[in-house]
Amino acid sequence: MIEIDENKLIACPVCSAVNIDKGKKNTCRRCGSAIYHHRNFSTEKSWAFLITAMIAYIPANLYPMLITNTFGTQDGSTILGGVVFLWEHGSYPIAMVIFFASIMIPLVKFMILLYLLISVKYPLGKDKKVDKHKLYYMTEVIGPWSMIDVFVVAILAALIHLSNISIVAGTAATAFAISVFFTLLAAHAFDETLIKENR
Amino acid sequence: MKLENEAALENLIICHQCSTLHFKTKIKDGSKACCSECGGILYRYDTKLIEHGLALSITGLIFFALANFFPLVQIEILGHTQFITIPKTIFSLFDNGFYIVGLICAFLILIFPLMIFVINLVLFSMLKLRRGEQWTKDLLILLAHITPWSMTDIFLVSILVALVKLIGYAQIHMGVAFWSLIVFVMIDLYIVKRVHLSEIWMLRKRIIIEGEKV
Repeated sequence: MIEIDENKLIACPVCSAVNIDKGKKNTCRRCGSAIYHHRNFSTEKSWAFLITAMIAYIPANLYPMLITNTFGTQDGSTILGGVVFLWEHGSYPIAMVIFFASIMIPLVKFMILLYLLISVKYPLGKDKKVDKHKLYYMTEVIGPWSMIDVFVVAILAALIHLSNISIVAGTAATAFAISVFFTLLAAHAFDETLIKENR
Repeated sequence: MKLENEAALENLIICHQCSTLHFKTKIKDGSKACCSECGGILYRYDTKLIEHGLALSITGLIFFALANFFPLVQIEILGHTQFITIPKTIFSLFDNGFYIVGLICAFLILIFPLMIFVINLVLFSMLKLRRGEQWTKDLLILLAHITPWSMTDIFLVSILVALVKLIGYAQIHMGVAFWSLIVFVMIDLYIVKRVHLSEIWMLRKRIIIEGEKV
Protein backbone atom coordinates (compact mmCIF):
# COMPACT_ATOMS: atom_id res chain seq x y z
CA MET A 1 0.00 0.00 0.00
CA ILE A 2 1.27 3.44 -0.81
CA GLU A 3 -0.23 6.66 0.36
CA ILE A 4 -0.32 9.52 -2.15
CA ASP A 5 -1.73 12.99 -2.16
CA GLU A 6 -4.38 13.43 -4.84
CA ASN A 7 -2.84 16.75 -5.84
CA LYS A 8 0.43 14.98 -6.59
CA LEU A 9 -1.11 13.12 -9.50
CA ILE A 10 -0.36 14.63 -12.89
CA ALA A 11 -1.22 13.65 -16.43
CA CYS A 12 1.58 13.08 -18.92
CA PRO A 13 1.37 15.82 -21.57
CA VAL A 14 2.19 13.33 -24.35
CA CYS A 15 0.19 10.18 -23.58
CA SER A 16 -2.03 11.51 -20.76
CA ALA A 17 -1.20 8.60 -18.43
CA VAL A 18 -1.58 9.42 -14.73
CA ASN A 19 1.77 9.83 -12.96
CA ILE A 20 2.91 10.65 -9.45
CA ASP A 21 4.68 13.99 -9.25
CA LYS A 22 8.06 13.14 -7.73
CA GLY A 23 9.70 16.51 -7.86
CA LYS A 24 11.66 18.43 -10.46
CA LYS A 25 12.13 15.89 -13.20
CA ASN A 26 9.63 13.14 -13.89
CA THR A 27 9.54 10.59 -16.63
CA CYS A 28 6.20 9.18 -17.66
CA ARG A 29 5.84 5.56 -16.56
CA ARG A 30 4.02 4.65 -19.79
CA CYS A 31 5.68 6.50 -22.66
CA GLY A 32 8.95 7.63 -21.04
CA SER A 33 8.52 11.28 -22.00
CA ALA A 34 9.95 13.80 -19.62
CA ILE A 35 7.42 15.72 -17.55
CA TYR A 36 9.31 18.83 -16.60
CA HIS A 37 8.35 20.57 -13.48
CA HIS A 38 10.86 23.25 -12.87
CA ARG A 39 10.02 25.80 -10.21
CA ASN A 40 11.90 28.71 -11.74
CA PHE A 41 11.57 28.18 -15.45
CA SER A 42 8.02 26.89 -15.67
CA THR A 43 6.49 29.58 -17.85
CA GLU A 44 9.47 31.12 -19.66
CA LYS A 45 9.21 29.03 -22.81
CA SER A 46 5.54 29.81 -23.19
CA TRP A 47 6.21 33.51 -22.55
CA ALA A 48 8.90 33.61 -25.24
CA PHE A 49 6.64 32.02 -27.86
CA LEU A 50 3.73 34.25 -26.91
CA ILE A 51 5.77 37.45 -27.17
CA THR A 52 7.13 36.37 -30.57
CA ALA A 53 3.58 35.72 -31.74
CA MET A 54 2.40 39.12 -30.52
CA ILE A 55 5.26 40.90 -32.25
CA ALA A 56 4.54 39.06 -35.51
CA TYR A 57 0.87 40.00 -35.21
CA ILE A 58 1.68 43.72 -35.62
CA PRO A 59 3.11 43.57 -39.18
CA ALA A 60 0.41 41.01 -39.99
CA ASN A 61 -2.13 43.77 -39.53
CA LEU A 62 -0.20 46.64 -41.05
CA TYR A 63 1.04 45.10 -44.29
CA PRO A 64 -1.24 43.94 -47.10
CA MET A 65 -2.42 40.35 -46.93
CA LEU A 66 -3.56 40.14 -50.54
CA ILE A 67 -2.25 42.11 -53.50
CA THR A 68 -4.57 42.24 -56.49
CA ASN A 69 -3.09 43.20 -59.85
CA THR A 70 -5.81 44.26 -62.28
CA PHE A 71 -4.72 45.60 -65.67
CA GLY A 72 -1.51 47.03 -64.34
CA THR A 73 -2.84 48.60 -61.14
CA GLN A 74 -1.76 47.13 -57.84
CA ASP A 75 -4.16 47.07 -54.97
CA GLY A 76 -3.21 45.69 -51.58
CA SER A 77 -5.66 44.95 -48.81
CA THR A 78 -4.89 44.34 -45.16
CA ILE A 79 -6.77 41.83 -43.01
CA LEU A 80 -9.09 44.46 -41.58
CA GLY A 81 -9.43 46.11 -45.01
CA GLY A 82 -10.48 42.77 -46.49
CA VAL A 83 -13.13 42.29 -43.84
CA VAL A 84 -14.51 45.80 -44.36
CA PHE A 85 -14.52 45.27 -48.15
CA LEU A 86 -16.46 42.01 -47.83
CA TRP A 87 -18.91 43.59 -45.37
CA GLU A 88 -19.59 46.55 -47.67
CA HIS A 89 -20.20 44.23 -50.59
CA GLY A 90 -22.76 42.26 -48.67
CA SER A 91 -20.83 39.04 -48.03
CA TYR A 92 -21.72 39.15 -44.34
CA PRO A 93 -21.12 35.47 -43.47
CA ILE A 94 -17.66 35.42 -45.07
CA ALA A 95 -16.79 38.77 -43.51
CA MET A 96 -17.78 37.32 -40.13
CA VAL A 97 -15.74 34.14 -40.69
CA ILE A 98 -12.62 36.09 -41.64
CA PHE A 99 -13.19 38.57 -38.81
CA PHE A 100 -13.47 35.80 -36.23
CA ALA A 101 -10.63 33.69 -37.63
CA SER A 102 -8.08 36.43 -38.23
CA ILE A 103 -8.87 39.12 -35.69
CA MET A 104 -10.99 37.77 -32.84
CA ILE A 105 -9.38 34.34 -32.32
CA PRO A 106 -5.75 35.56 -32.22
CA LEU A 107 -6.62 38.45 -29.88
CA VAL A 108 -8.73 36.29 -27.57
CA LYS A 109 -5.97 33.69 -27.55
CA PHE A 110 -3.31 36.28 -26.66
CA MET A 111 -5.52 37.54 -23.85
CA ILE A 112 -6.28 34.08 -22.44
CA LEU A 113 -2.64 32.99 -22.58
CA LEU A 114 -1.48 36.26 -20.99
CA TYR A 115 -4.05 35.84 -18.23
CA LEU A 116 -3.09 32.21 -17.65
CA LEU A 117 0.64 32.95 -17.63
CA ILE A 118 0.25 35.84 -15.21
CA SER A 119 -2.27 34.10 -12.99
CA VAL A 120 -0.08 31.05 -12.38
CA LYS A 121 2.70 33.29 -11.08
CA TYR A 122 0.72 35.94 -9.25
CA PRO A 123 -2.53 35.49 -7.37
CA LEU A 124 -4.66 37.19 -9.99
CA GLY A 125 -8.33 36.31 -10.06
CA LYS A 126 -7.84 33.62 -7.47
CA ASP A 127 -11.09 34.29 -5.69
CA LYS A 128 -13.03 34.66 -8.92
CA LYS A 129 -14.67 31.58 -10.27
CA VAL A 130 -12.85 31.37 -13.57
CA ASP A 131 -12.37 27.86 -14.89
CA LYS A 132 -8.81 28.09 -16.14
CA HIS A 133 -8.72 24.52 -17.39
CA LYS A 134 -11.71 25.24 -19.58
CA LEU A 135 -10.05 28.43 -20.86
CA TYR A 136 -6.88 26.53 -21.72
CA TYR A 137 -8.84 23.78 -23.44
CA MET A 138 -10.69 26.43 -25.45
CA THR A 139 -7.48 28.02 -26.72
CA GLU A 140 -6.31 24.60 -27.88
CA VAL A 141 -9.52 23.97 -29.79
CA ILE A 142 -10.06 27.37 -31.44
CA GLY A 143 -6.37 28.17 -32.01
CA PRO A 144 -5.72 26.39 -35.30
CA TRP A 145 -8.78 27.99 -36.94
CA SER A 146 -6.97 31.28 -37.38
CA MET A 147 -5.00 29.58 -40.15
CA ILE A 148 -8.08 30.00 -42.40
CA ASP A 149 -6.93 33.33 -43.75
CA VAL A 150 -3.47 32.06 -44.69
CA PHE A 151 -4.98 29.09 -46.53
CA VAL A 152 -7.49 31.33 -48.32
CA VAL A 153 -4.69 33.58 -49.53
CA ALA A 154 -2.68 30.55 -50.68
CA ILE A 155 -5.66 29.18 -52.62
CA LEU A 156 -6.53 32.52 -54.24
CA ALA A 157 -2.91 33.17 -55.19
CA ALA A 158 -2.58 29.72 -56.76
CA LEU A 159 -5.91 29.98 -58.56
CA ILE A 160 -5.74 33.45 -60.06
CA HIS A 161 -2.62 34.31 -61.97
CA LEU A 162 -3.65 35.51 -65.41
CA SER A 163 -1.73 38.10 -67.36
CA ASN A 164 -4.36 40.75 -66.68
CA ILE A 165 -5.65 39.76 -63.30
CA SER A 166 -3.54 38.12 -60.65
CA ILE A 167 -3.61 37.78 -56.91
CA VAL A 168 -0.35 37.59 -54.97
CA ALA A 169 0.11 36.96 -51.27
CA GLY A 170 1.41 39.95 -49.31
CA THR A 171 4.00 40.34 -46.58
CA ALA A 172 1.29 40.02 -43.94
CA ALA A 173 0.68 36.40 -44.97
CA THR A 174 4.14 35.41 -43.74
CA ALA A 175 3.83 37.48 -40.57
CA PHE A 176 0.37 36.10 -39.84
CA ALA A 177 1.41 32.48 -40.44
CA ILE A 178 4.36 32.95 -38.09
CA SER A 179 2.12 34.60 -35.50
CA VAL A 180 -0.38 31.71 -35.55
CA PHE A 181 2.43 29.14 -35.50
CA PHE A 182 3.99 30.70 -32.40
CA THR A 183 0.67 31.09 -30.56
CA LEU A 184 0.10 27.36 -31.10
CA LEU A 185 3.60 26.64 -29.77
CA ALA A 186 2.98 28.91 -26.78
CA ALA A 187 -0.24 27.07 -25.97
CA HIS A 188 1.49 23.68 -26.23
CA ALA A 189 4.42 24.83 -24.11
CA PHE A 190 2.14 26.01 -21.31
CA ASP A 191 2.37 23.64 -18.35
CA GLU A 192 -1.19 22.78 -17.43
CA THR A 193 -0.25 21.38 -14.03
CA LEU A 194 0.61 24.92 -12.89
CA ILE A 195 -3.06 25.84 -12.93
CA LYS A 196 -3.81 23.21 -10.32
CA GLU A 197 -1.14 24.43 -7.92
CA ASN A 198 -2.39 27.98 -7.99
CA ARG A 199 -6.04 27.21 -7.68
CA MET B 1 -5.71 8.50 -1.28
CA LYS B 2 -4.37 4.95 -1.02
CA LEU B 3 -3.12 2.83 -3.87
CA GLU B 4 -1.78 -0.75 -3.86
CA ASN B 5 1.24 -0.01 -6.01
CA GLU B 6 2.34 2.20 -8.83
CA ALA B 7 0.69 -0.05 -11.42
CA ALA B 8 -2.66 0.80 -9.90
CA LEU B 9 -2.27 4.28 -11.41
CA GLU B 10 -3.43 2.63 -14.60
CA ASN B 11 -6.96 2.61 -13.17
CA LEU B 12 -6.99 6.37 -12.90
CA ILE B 13 -7.66 8.92 -15.59
CA ILE B 14 -7.46 12.71 -15.61
CA CYS B 15 -10.02 14.56 -17.72
CA HIS B 16 -8.14 16.44 -20.43
CA GLN B 17 -10.69 19.25 -20.44
CA CYS B 18 -10.95 20.14 -16.77
CA SER B 19 -8.23 18.02 -15.08
CA THR B 20 -10.55 16.19 -12.70
CA LEU B 21 -9.31 12.85 -11.41
CA HIS B 22 -11.48 9.80 -12.09
CA PHE B 23 -11.40 6.07 -11.50
CA LYS B 24 -11.86 4.07 -14.66
CA THR B 25 -14.89 1.81 -14.69
CA LYS B 26 -15.88 -0.96 -17.04
CA ILE B 27 -18.38 0.23 -19.58
CA LYS B 28 -20.48 -1.51 -22.21
CA ASP B 29 -19.17 -2.13 -25.70
CA GLY B 30 -19.78 0.87 -27.92
CA SER B 31 -20.50 3.26 -25.05
CA LYS B 32 -18.42 6.10 -23.63
CA ALA B 33 -17.40 7.33 -20.22
CA CYS B 34 -17.94 11.04 -19.55
CA CYS B 35 -16.42 13.36 -16.98
CA SER B 36 -18.75 14.05 -14.06
CA GLU B 37 -17.55 17.66 -13.78
CA CYS B 38 -17.53 19.00 -17.32
CA GLY B 39 -19.19 16.27 -19.36
CA GLY B 40 -16.19 15.82 -21.62
CA ILE B 41 -15.55 12.34 -22.98
CA LEU B 42 -12.93 10.43 -20.99
CA TYR B 43 -12.71 7.26 -23.07
CA ARG B 44 -14.76 4.92 -25.21
CA TYR B 45 -14.89 1.17 -25.25
CA ASP B 46 -14.99 -0.35 -28.69
CA THR B 47 -14.02 -3.99 -29.18
CA LYS B 48 -13.76 -3.47 -32.92
CA LEU B 49 -11.45 -0.45 -32.68
CA ILE B 50 -8.56 -2.22 -34.42
CA GLU B 51 -10.71 -3.29 -37.36
CA HIS B 52 -12.32 0.14 -37.64
CA GLY B 53 -8.92 1.79 -37.40
CA LEU B 54 -7.36 -0.40 -40.08
CA ALA B 55 -10.27 -0.08 -42.50
CA LEU B 56 -10.56 3.67 -42.08
CA SER B 57 -6.79 4.27 -42.34
CA ILE B 58 -6.67 2.47 -45.68
CA THR B 59 -9.78 4.27 -46.94
CA GLY B 60 -8.39 7.56 -45.73
CA LEU B 61 -5.09 7.03 -47.54
CA ILE B 62 -6.90 6.22 -50.81
CA PHE B 63 -9.03 9.35 -50.57
CA PHE B 64 -6.00 11.43 -49.58
CA ALA B 65 -4.17 10.23 -52.71
CA LEU B 66 -7.22 11.14 -54.82
CA ALA B 67 -7.43 14.53 -53.14
CA ASN B 68 -3.81 15.26 -54.02
CA PHE B 69 -3.60 14.02 -57.60
CA PHE B 70 -6.81 15.47 -59.00
CA PRO B 71 -7.87 19.11 -59.37
CA LEU B 72 -9.61 20.61 -56.37
CA VAL B 73 -11.46 23.39 -58.13
CA GLN B 74 -11.50 24.72 -61.63
CA ILE B 75 -12.46 28.27 -62.48
CA GLU B 76 -13.24 30.06 -65.69
CA ILE B 77 -12.30 33.71 -65.66
CA LEU B 78 -12.20 36.00 -68.71
CA GLY B 79 -12.21 32.96 -70.99
CA HIS B 80 -9.24 31.34 -69.25
CA THR B 81 -9.50 28.10 -67.35
CA GLN B 82 -7.42 27.55 -64.24
CA PHE B 83 -7.36 24.70 -61.77
CA ILE B 84 -5.52 23.94 -58.55
CA THR B 85 -4.45 20.80 -56.75
CA ILE B 86 -3.22 20.70 -53.17
CA PRO B 87 0.50 20.34 -54.13
CA LYS B 88 0.10 23.09 -56.74
CA THR B 89 -1.22 25.48 -54.08
CA ILE B 90 1.89 24.88 -52.00
CA PHE B 91 4.31 25.09 -54.94
CA SER B 92 2.80 28.36 -56.09
CA LEU B 93 3.64 29.83 -52.67
CA PHE B 94 7.24 28.71 -53.13
CA ASP B 95 7.32 30.14 -56.65
CA ASN B 96 6.23 33.52 -55.33
CA GLY B 97 8.98 33.53 -52.72
CA PHE B 98 6.78 32.77 -49.70
CA TYR B 99 9.02 30.01 -48.38
CA ILE B 100 7.93 30.19 -44.74
CA VAL B 101 4.21 30.14 -45.49
CA GLY B 102 4.80 27.43 -48.10
CA LEU B 103 6.68 25.30 -45.63
CA ILE B 104 4.07 25.76 -42.90
CA CYS B 105 1.25 24.92 -45.32
CA ALA B 106 3.11 21.89 -46.69
CA PHE B 107 3.44 20.46 -43.20
CA LEU B 108 -0.07 21.31 -42.01
CA ILE B 109 -2.09 20.10 -44.97
CA LEU B 110 0.14 17.55 -46.69
CA ILE B 111 2.91 15.98 -44.64
CA PHE B 112 1.32 15.69 -41.20
CA PRO B 113 -2.05 14.31 -42.38
CA LEU B 114 -0.24 11.76 -44.53
CA MET B 115 2.07 10.80 -41.65
CA ILE B 116 -0.85 10.41 -39.26
CA PHE B 117 -2.66 8.01 -41.57
CA VAL B 118 0.45 5.96 -42.35
CA ILE B 119 1.26 5.75 -38.63
CA ASN B 120 -2.31 4.71 -37.86
CA LEU B 121 -2.12 2.02 -40.52
CA VAL B 122 1.13 0.60 -39.14
CA LEU B 123 -0.06 0.94 -35.55
CA PHE B 124 -3.36 -0.87 -36.02
CA SER B 125 -1.70 -3.57 -38.15
CA MET B 126 0.78 -4.20 -35.34
CA LEU B 127 -1.98 -4.36 -32.77
CA LYS B 128 -3.82 -6.79 -35.02
CA LEU B 129 -0.69 -8.97 -35.26
CA ARG B 130 -0.02 -8.54 -31.49
CA ARG B 131 3.63 -7.60 -31.77
CA GLY B 132 6.03 -4.65 -31.69
CA GLU B 133 5.95 -3.49 -28.07
CA GLN B 134 8.64 -0.84 -28.59
CA TRP B 135 7.45 0.16 -32.05
CA THR B 136 3.87 0.81 -31.04
CA LYS B 137 5.10 2.90 -28.13
CA ASP B 138 7.33 5.06 -30.34
CA LEU B 139 4.59 5.48 -32.92
CA LEU B 140 2.04 6.51 -30.29
CA ILE B 141 4.44 9.12 -28.92
CA LEU B 142 5.08 10.48 -32.41
CA LEU B 143 1.35 10.52 -33.10
CA ALA B 144 0.70 12.53 -29.94
CA HIS B 145 3.18 15.15 -31.12
CA ILE B 146 1.85 15.62 -34.65
CA THR B 147 -1.91 15.17 -34.22
CA PRO B 148 -2.54 18.78 -33.14
CA TRP B 149 -0.75 20.00 -36.27
CA SER B 150 -2.93 18.37 -38.89
CA MET B 151 -5.30 20.93 -40.37
CA THR B 152 -7.06 19.41 -43.36
CA ASP B 153 -10.45 20.28 -41.87
CA ILE B 154 -9.46 23.94 -41.65
CA PHE B 155 -8.11 23.81 -45.20
CA LEU B 156 -11.49 22.49 -46.41
CA VAL B 157 -13.30 25.44 -44.81
CA SER B 158 -10.71 27.77 -46.36
CA ILE B 159 -11.48 26.43 -49.83
CA LEU B 160 -15.15 27.25 -49.30
CA VAL B 161 -14.32 30.75 -48.06
CA ALA B 162 -12.02 31.36 -51.05
CA LEU B 163 -14.68 30.18 -53.47
CA VAL B 164 -17.38 32.37 -51.95
CA LYS B 165 -15.02 35.31 -52.43
CA LEU B 166 -14.76 34.43 -56.13
CA ILE B 167 -18.50 34.09 -56.78
CA GLY B 168 -19.48 36.76 -59.26
CA TYR B 169 -15.99 37.06 -60.74
CA ALA B 170 -15.55 33.58 -62.13
CA GLN B 171 -17.35 30.37 -62.96
CA ILE B 172 -16.48 27.68 -60.48
CA HIS B 173 -16.41 23.91 -61.01
CA MET B 174 -15.66 21.55 -58.15
CA GLY B 175 -13.16 18.83 -58.97
CA VAL B 176 -12.86 15.19 -57.93
CA ALA B 177 -10.29 16.09 -55.30
CA PHE B 178 -12.73 18.41 -53.52
CA TRP B 179 -15.21 15.61 -52.86
CA SER B 180 -12.36 13.25 -51.94
CA LEU B 181 -11.07 15.83 -49.49
CA ILE B 182 -14.51 16.04 -47.85
CA VAL B 183 -14.54 12.24 -47.37
CA PHE B 184 -10.95 12.36 -46.09
CA VAL B 185 -11.80 15.07 -43.56
CA MET B 186 -14.81 13.06 -42.35
CA ILE B 187 -12.61 9.98 -41.82
CA ASP B 188 -9.95 12.15 -40.17
CA LEU B 189 -12.52 13.59 -37.75
CA TYR B 190 -13.84 10.10 -36.99
CA ILE B 191 -10.62 8.17 -36.46
CA VAL B 192 -8.02 10.79 -35.54
CA LYS B 193 -9.89 13.54 -33.71
CA ARG B 194 -12.60 11.41 -32.06
CA VAL B 195 -10.57 8.46 -30.81
CA HIS B 196 -8.44 9.60 -27.89
CA LEU B 197 -4.86 8.39 -27.96
CA SER B 198 -5.26 7.07 -24.42
CA GLU B 199 -7.78 4.56 -25.78
CA ILE B 200 -5.10 3.18 -28.10
CA TRP B 201 -2.63 3.13 -25.20
CA MET B 202 -5.14 1.11 -23.17
CA LEU B 203 -5.69 -1.21 -26.13
CA ARG B 204 -1.94 -1.66 -26.56
CA LYS B 205 -1.56 -2.59 -22.90
CA ARG B 206 -4.39 -5.11 -23.04
CA ILE B 207 -3.26 -6.78 -26.25
CA ILE B 208 0.52 -6.59 -26.44
CA ILE B 209 1.67 -6.44 -22.83
CA GLU B 210 -0.95 -8.58 -21.17
CA GLY B 211 -1.67 -10.73 -24.21
CA GLU B 212 -5.41 -10.69 -23.71
CA LYS B 213 -7.55 -12.33 -26.39
CA VAL B 214 -10.06 -10.01 -27.99
